[in-house]
Amino acid sequence: MNPVLSAEGLTLGYGGDPVVRDLDLSIAEGEFTVIVGPNGCGKSTLLKALGRINRPVSGRVLLHGEDVRAQRAKAVARRMAMLPQSPTAPEGITVRGLAARGRFPHHTLLLQWSPADDEAVDRALGMTGLADLADARVGALSGGQRQRAWVAMVLAQDTGVLLLDEPTTFLDIAHQYDLLELFADLHRRGRTVVAVLHDLAQAARFATRLVLMNRGSVVADGAPEAVITAARVEEVFGLACDVVPDPRTRTPLVIPHERT
Amino acid sequence: MNRTPTGPADAAPARRDPVLRLGRAVALPVHPRTLLWCALLLLAVLAVAVATLSLGRLGIAPGRIPAVVAGGGEGTEAFVYERLRGPRLAVALGTGAALGLAGALFQSVTRNPLGSPDVIGLGAGAGAGAACAALLLPGAVPVPLGALAGAVLAMAVVALATGTGLRHPGRLIVAGIGVAAMAQAFTQFVVSVMARDQAGVLSAYINGSLGARDWDHAATIWGAVLLAVPPLLYLAGPVAVNEMGDELSDALGASAARTRTLAIGLSVVLSAAAVAVAGPIAFVALTAPQISRRLTGAAGPHLALSAVTGALLLAAADLAVQQSPVGDGLPVGLFTMALGGAYLGHLLIREWRKGVL
Repeated sequence: MNPVLSAEGLTLGYGGDPVVRDLDLSIAEGEFTVIVGPNGCGKSTLLKALGRINRPVSGRVLLHGEDVRAQRAKAVARRMAMLPQSPTAPEGITVRGLAARGRFPHHTLLLQWSPADDEAVDRALGMTGLADLADARVGALSGGQRQRAWVAMVLAQDTGVLLLDEPTTFLDIAHQYDLLELFADLHRRGRTVVAVLHDLAQAARFATRLVLMNRGSVVADGAPEAVITAARVEEVFGLACDVVPDPRTRTPLVIPHERT
Repeated sequence: MNRTPTGPADAAPARRDPVLRLGRAVALPVHPRTLLWCALLLLAVLAVAVATLSLGRLGIAPGRIPAVVAGGGEGTEAFVYERLRGPRLAVALGTGAALGLAGALFQSVTRNPLGSPDVIGLGAGAGAGAACAALLLPGAVPVPLGALAGAVLAMAVVALATGTGLRHPGRLIVAGIGVAAMAQAFTQFVVSVMARDQAGVLSAYINGSLGARDWDHAATIWGAVLLAVPPLLYLAGPVAVNEMGDELSDALGASAARTRTLAIGLSVVLSAAAVAVAGPIAFVALTAPQISRRLTGAAGPHLALSAVTGALLLAAADLAVQQSPVGDGLPVGLFTMALGGAYLGHLLIREWRKGVL
């Protein structure tokens, strides 16, 4: 099967030692891939390179078989959306206004509106449960609602591929699961989702495929049950633990050992 | 807590911006409140323009203004319009618009209400460059070119001095204060060497003035503003997207680095053109975009409205100066400095309370 998104021999860095070294990864259509790993393992850097934000030191990223750097940025943005970790909401912007900015890649100099824009924005607000708050100011929303507004923005972009960089950070646990259910729902409707998450239990519960990274390389890749083992968590995170099946979903759950 | 509705939006919100359409080729969304304020402020500009031409001892009767502007003036009327007030008004409007645009662009791409050309020493640098070109090398270097060189140099020094480019608001202001002080010291030096005993000349290069302008000045600034229109049309979209952060801007297909470079470049050119014809008039670039933001209550760089607001602010300030009892020898820059300084103080306190500085 042809991958939707793939990395070939990707080496990434910010000038000094590479953060990611010679990494290959290929993502098939319709997967919900979650990238996990300890702090500084290069998972966010990888996601930014996949999203055409970071320029690779070497190697390339292919979207539908074509180098993303060889395509126009707007053309890539019509097929792949990315929600970074800490975007800035412009002062005074409304929820609808924010979602509408996701339509930018579909616009040209003279054509800055089409009926498809309103449809995509309405659909995005509906899917994120924000239709009633469309005219509210983003600055006045709660943390959970605000993150939904950002998700609405990338949904309005109307792309087949969705990249999410730690989208649940700073939310309380109920809002975290609420958002993850939303991503799972988007995945069920056919979107290819790639997310970086911190919480292994959440990653294992929602991902169809888990990619475990350490020190700039992929150390395990596959179904969550195959990737999350006690030996691997100890090796990668330095945390002695048991791995038990989640009583509800049977996905792996990490139970750390107490220090003695 | 809200659960995720899984169905499509069944209650689509009603409020959408109207769209300006020209056939199938052009479709631009319009923000009604922005349009309304643009129209209102343009009316105010018209009122200020009429007042500028008609008030005072040499004023042209309001009823005669259309005829005089059309070229049918006679004697004193024609003289007042052609030589005294007409060019001065045209320069004030063009300069105000240029400063409003420069401020809107700069504040937007630095995501910083204090990241304004006049606050970070760009205007003072352009003033030093203009003084240099006009007094040290008269005839050899055109004044606008000198102003541009001074503006570029000042901005380069500020960007290097902060160590973090143009990102950190606090550092930007401190570096700007330093650069502005150095630029003004240089200007004072040049003026005191070349134009000893002329307080008016010094003040014009330090504070900015609209006294004794001619139609060439008006052509320079309006030329710059009109030339800026095509790049502004191109930049409006990317600049709006850029307000959400560099990464999101890149992800949406509007390169953050390119947008910032183009916007700052254009802002520098507009500021330099303004300084070349009117000196480093302070605080129009700072306040015009923020007034526009308050008026519309909406997000966005508000480029057009900032231009209109800037034109109105400067023309009104110059009207006040011309009609003030102290006499119209007073440079308008002193007036904007006094009003804008108070606003800057307010802004500094607000940003400091927010923890931005």
